[in-house]
Amino acid sequence: MRLAKRMLVFAALTLAIAGVSVAQDVPYQRILHSDSEPQNWLTYGGNYGSQRFSRLTQINTKNVAQLKVAWIYQPSRAVANVETSPIVVDGIMYVTEPPSTVTAIDARTGLRLWSWSPKMPDHLVLIGLYGNSRGVAILDKTVYVGTADAHLVALDAKTGGVKWDVHVADNRFGYSMSGPPLAIDGKVIVGTGGSEAAVRGLLDCYDAKTGKRLWRVWTVPRLGEPGADTWGPGASQSAGGTTWNNGSYDPATNTIYWGTGNPAPDFNDDDRPGDNLYTCSLLAIDANTGQIKWYFQFSPHENHDWDSAEPPVLFNAKIDGKMRHLVALANRNAFYYVLDRDTGQFITGVPFAKETWAKGLDAKGRPILNPDQQPTLGQGTLVYPSITGAVDWPSPSYSPQTGLFYVSAHETGAYYIKGTGEIEPGAPKGIVGGGGVKALAGDQSYGAIRALVATTGKLRWQYKLFSPAWVGTLATAGGLVFTGSDEGNFFALDASTGKLLWQFYMGHGLRSNPVTYALDGKQYVFVTAGNAYVTFTLP
Amino acid sequence: MGPNIQGIPFSLGMQATINVIKTGMSGGMPAFGGQLSATQIQHVVQYLLTLRKQDAFKITGDAARGKEVYEASGCASCHMIDGQGGDSAPDLSNVGTLRTGGYLHTTILYPGSDLPQQHLFLETGGKLDYLFVHVVTNAGQALDGTRVVEDSFRIVIEDAKGNFHSFDKSNLRELKEEPGKSLMPSYKGKLSDAQVNDLVAYLASLKEAQ
Repeated sequence: MRLAKRMLVFAALTLAIAGVSVAQDVPYQRILHSDSEPQNWLTYGGNYGSQRFSRLTQINTKNVAQLKVAWIYQPSRAVANVETSPIVVDGIMYVTEPPSTVTAIDARTGLRLWSWSPKMPDHLVLIGLYGNSRGVAILDKTVYVGTADAHLVALDAKTGGVKWDVHVADNRFGYSMSGPPLAIDGKVIVGTGGSEAAVRGLLDCYDAKTGKRLWRVWTVPRLGEPGADTWGPGASQSAGGTTWNNGSYDPATNTIYWGTGNPAPDFNDDDRPGDNLYTCSLLAIDANTGQIKWYFQFSPHENHDWDSAEPPVLFNAKIDGKMRHLVALANRNAFYYVLDRDTGQFITGVPFAKETWAKGLDAKGRPILNPDQQPTLGQGTLVYPSITGAVDWPSPSYSPQTGLFYVSAHETGAYYIKGTGEIEPGAPKGIVGGGGVKALAGDQSYGAIRALVATTGKLRWQYKLFSPAWVGTLATAGGLVFTGSDEGNFFALDASTGKLLWQFYMGHGLRSNPVTYALDGKQYVFVTAGNAYVTFTLP
Repeated sequence: MGPNIQGIPFSLGMQATINVIKTGMSGGMPAFGGQLSATQIQHVVQYLLTLRKQDAFKITGDAARGKEVYEASGCASCHMIDGQGGDSAPDLSNVGTLRTGGYLHTTILYPGSDLPQQHLFLETGGKLDYLFVHVVTNAGQALDGTRVVEDSFRIVIEDAKGNFHSFDKSNLRELKEEPGKSLMPSYKGKLSDAQVNDLVAYLASLKEAQ
């Protein structure tokens, strides 16, 4: 007894002095209660609600200006624009490297513990997207990754050894994965990209232990299926609605929330009259059956490449004095939406960046279109936002402390040019249909970190940026919002006022979502820029 | 051989351009419909869309006389050609490749009126090159110069002597960016039309050795 107690004390001391990382095991219950272990970052979105909010307070408004680099990790060969957002568990950080490598890093030192890379096909088909990976999921003792050739692979968290590998969809047709999977109780959910190659969107759920497919949701119906009438004659080859980002999960109702991409072909809607369900929508899906409980289509009959694959953020708040279960989404189409996440009922929607395509939203949240805002032949039509939208894949954050929703907004337009819109049967050779886009010239484009009142979308403050940025936001209980710029600045703002408190130049534009974690009593903030994976801490 | 294809999709229209690539044209343009798929043709057209606008300006001047104008007008005190000259303004060794005749003509008369793009990406938009800026520091020091690089928090400016000045924006009381202005003087009225045309011809002849 005494010996055991002594050993325990010794173990605790060893943990403190040498920094021991315990064997990796993350049962579902730990993820479910991730808010109770803020020292770890257990899901892509920080919790199942994708809030990207940390309860850590050691780094706060008073001392953030003292942040210093703790370590820098770089892949063994140079890559461009790392986009990963890590999982951090008990001293080990799991990151991805382009296109589909998974690496475990000792979070104390930055040293590589193991690295796994899939064997890729000789001719990887990447259409309308880059071969990249934005992160992994963890459950029990397994790390899950989606690969650029559309495989879902389960790796042993300790060794990187492959437990199983399933071929989700055929890369020869343009299916590809860059978004992180979502791991829930015994299940792994993963989506794919490929709308520009005119693939048919799908969302898959696999048994976490065996890799057996449990269900598949086709996000666009074909002839004879519900919703096919929203495609006109295009229903025979309806395409798009891909699921290339990460989703959220409400354990209380066992519901998965996942956004879908644009219909194909882009910029040419001649052969797909109708709303084109379920493209540019948020799907609420029963995690057990894969049944769509409800859907909300943000941009019916979309024609500007404004996917609605942005991460849905779940939170509870009072609307008209009544506590509601909400889901909010800052959409690429420049509107911020708040819905009832139990019913899909539209609550509010307002622009959070300049847009010229809609007069506003009607009582049900459907856009009221402006005329003359469709792609045209020749010089094209100037429309705000641009093709990459008012926001793209980088994640927003929500702070329950401030009640604010933090989004890195793009203020830019583009000239949209109509194309031929032909879909070619068989393996695609390039972007299907489509026209072209010309960016705005000169210093007209800029970015802004915007803090919206989460329940209304009303702007509380903004911090303007030199260019539109491709970096998510991280909100902390230390009263901070961390984010970055396309010029290479990583910086912290006061979460309540938007005041700049710290900035660090990283030498390359940032393209990822920052996270925070703690080890041995010290809080760290992590982000990538170019090739560099960098973690910061207080001196 | 073929026509200058810059701006073709704009003047001809997208569909007509696609048809020309598909079916060819009498007079030498072969039909590519057999060897290129519809999507590949689409890609060619998208590439054409990225090319610079057409320039109707016709170079009529004499390049040899233009070289004399260049030397007599003090251009070399700021600009460099093949290693000779000043370094406070852009190097012109390859300017005939980078800029059209019309652009050179406009810039000699109205410097700063049509600034080139530093870069132009769909994801982040563009930024102007050689943008004139006026700054005043919190301590009251004023400076005019050309923007070299800028981010959300800092800016580096090059003054008329070619010196770089870097500023933290929080230390600036004023930061005024003035497209249209330039550190380069206008030669309108200082040179005759013929001299300007000769100078354009000379600059347009400055091309990288193939």
